[in-house]
Amino acid sequence: MQTALRTALPETELAGRANFAPHARVAREERPVQGSGLPLTIRGLRKSFGDNEVLRGIDLHIPAGQFVAIVGKSGCGKSTLLRLIAGLEKIDSGSISFGDAAVQPEDIRVMFQEPRLLPWARVLSNVEVGLGRDRASKDAHARAEQALTEVGLTDKRDQWPSVLSGGQKQRVALARALVSRPRVLAFDEPLGALDALTRISMQRLLERVWRDQGFTAILVTHDVAEAVALADRVLVIDEGRIAHDVVVNAGRPRERGSAELASLEASILSHLLSAEDRT
Amino acid sequence: MSLIDSVSLPRNFRLPRVDGLVQWIVPLAIVAIWQIACVTGFVPVRVLPAPSDVALAGWKLLLSGELVRNIWVSFWRASIGFLIGGSIGFAFGLANGLSRLSAKLTDTTLQMVRNVPHLALIPLVILWFGIDESAKLFLVALGVFFPIYLNTLHGIRTVDPQLIEMGRIYGMTDSELFRRVIFPGALPSIFVGIRFALGIMWLTLIVAETIAASSGLGYMAMQAREFMLIDVVVLSILIYALLGKLADSASRVLERLTLSWHPAFQKR
Repeated sequence: MQTALRTALPETELAGRANFAPHARVAREERPVQGSGLPLTIRGLRKSFGDNEVLRGIDLHIPAGQFVAIVGKSGCGKSTLLRLIAGLEKIDSGSISFGDAAVQPEDIRVMFQEPRLLPWARVLSNVEVGLGRDRASKDAHARAEQALTEVGLTDKRDQWPSVLSGGQKQRVALARALVSRPRVLAFDEPLGALDALTRISMQRLLERVWRDQGFTAILVTHDVAEAVALADRVLVIDEGRIAHDVVVNAGRPRERGSAELASLEASILSHLLSAEDRT
Repeated sequence: MSLIDSVSLPRNFRLPRVDGLVQWIVPLAIVAIWQIACVTGFVPVRVLPAPSDVALAGWKLLLSGELVRNIWVSFWRASIGFLIGGSIGFAFGLANGLSRLSAKLTDTTLQMVRNVPHLALIPLVILWFGIDESAKLFLVALGVFFPIYLNTLHGIRTVDPQLIEMGRIYGMTDSELFRRVIFPGALPSIFVGIRFALGIMWLTLIVAETIAASSGLGYMAMQAREFMLIDVVVLSILIYALLGKLADSASRVLERLTLSWHPAFQKR
């Protein structure tokens, strides 16, 4: 159906935006803000917890604005890598740098598997939390409302989080992460707790905001299908090292279940399974 | 929390308007049965005076001003004692919940003191303060201290660490983190402490006034016993019940106002 829609669009509209997402076309006057992402360079990164060496030398360069997925069996260190990138853990040795630009705390945001909304704050003020040091500014309300619009929850602005569904809570969490216009957005299994349908619509939403805002996206997931559906590049982590670095060349929007993605998914899964067999 | 709070009624179950009256059906029925039992002579008036006699005694005391004065004295002692003990308990709860050092320093001591029944201190307190106001205030404050301390501490310790991490990631300062995450997270538990404390507050006060006082409801009841005025004794007991209910209702209203975000307090 998506292919049909694309061919039906006039050529001029598609020109220059070959990977145009059809649903993003509706009521979106702003051109995508390209190049707002930060590049990320990691050198010789190591991290242990007690005697357990979780990361054993990670070297990685992510160009600005790339969407990278990190997969691996549980306990392989993928979440630790993400927490180190987000500054939630201390680095043992090695370095993480974000290009030459001076990085503000508001530039890097994390979204977790749990929405982590304040139950005692209404939806809008939960989103305002994401503004960081700009919380007190005059346009805080307006910015939070704009972020809510981006995730399609404007009508829930005055609700308590407890009345929202799991998917809606996660969208509020996304709005909170987006409201400060981050340049790097790290996702720690953000869709892990959602049902299959909600998950697919959330994946589309993630892809759309990433394309609109151009941040560098790092997605940790256990779902290989999700990784190949969303990412430009999939990293397979095994025993604290990057075991495989797979480029996903499929155009966007991606057709879920296409032969191209399926074969890529199968090859990544076989990497993961062979890692599993060794242990 | 009473049983009614924890059982959620089906969505369409509603008793509009009469809802507030339903809770009074049982107490009124008890009074009615009691009156009938006394009038018919089933219960001798020397054992239990009829509700009408109790009401009459109440009316007489009301006219003489004695009733209002004693209630006022007891109410004043209860509130001041509660405020003193509650704020000290709250302060220790905060300090020990937020600082490991403070908890290490004081928690063991407080736990030991907690296990002494505070009413066991009455003889000592009388020796210290006589039957002065400060004796009653001291006992009430001591009784109220522990439930508020323990529940504040528990509330702060059990605030979701993921929310605290979230607050830190989003750049909250310590005071913001306290105001926006820790205190609201601890509030439901603090309210549990307040409601426990209100019960202990009345209990302590009545016992203290019965043993060592020259005014107040407990004193009024003790004096009535001396003169075999059983209707006044029963009246005092009923007033305790009413005051206890009043304090509990007040704390519930406060709970409803401040915890409106909580699913348990949302209007369906």
